[in-house]
Amino acid sequence: MEFTALFLAVTVVMVVAWWGTRTLALALFAATLLASIATYLHHASDVLKLSF
Amino acid sequence: MTRSLASILNALGLCAIALVLAVAFAAQLLLDELPCPLCLLQRIQFAMLAVGPILNVRFGPRPSHYAVSLFAAIAGAAFAARQVLLHIIPGDPGYGSALLGYHYYSWAFIGFAVAILAFAAMLLFDGQFRDDGKQQPAGAFARAAVWLMIALTALNVVSTLLECGFGACADNPLAYELLKRAP
Repeated sequence: MEFTALFLAVTVVMVVAWWGTRTLALALFAATLLASIATYLHHASDVLKLSF
Repeated sequence: MTRSLASILNALGLCAIALVLAVAFAAQLLLDELPCPLCLLQRIQFAMLAVGPILNVRFGPRPSHYAVSLFAAIAGAAFAARQVLLHIIPGDPGYGSALLGYHYYSWAFIGFAVAILAFAAMLLFDGQFRDDGKQQPAGAFARAAVWLMIALTALNVVSTLLECGFGACADNPLAYELLKRAP
């Protein structure tokens, strides 16, 4: 679900960058980047299923 | 480099990012290989790379717009490097099939590295940042490139919702969660 939300957030950032204000687009971009890094760090602590 | 040439190069950059997302989609649909959570994060970073060029096409080139895309490229390279390292032990078959000898995450790492080099190279040309006071409207090619990127990212919203459903995405997804029939 979080990945769908992130893709949706990027779509919104693009639409704002094209039609909205520059400041809002940059702020939304920063929020989305931080959310994607937080998602990565959350999954980075998952148990690894390695094949050896 | 003039502002108009920089806008054309940014539109070409958008087309290159769109091509990456289209190839990933083609692999997903034609080879029936669903992207894993880390693969999805890399796709998200590829989509985020496009925000800088879109801002450049709309408002004119600025160093801050290139910085935005550099942040996305660095994050994407880190995510791809993590997946490369997960499969680096000799004998590990890797995740998914290989394209021209490299798995998708290896190509993604190369793609993000190329993006970092390309954005850094664009920052070398100061001429594009001299504002002559004239706001040039985006041409048809640039508008089409922006629309293509927005459409491909929106398609990824639908595809990811179908794949993961409303819960956590599977580590090794084999079927679309929302398309599974109840037993």
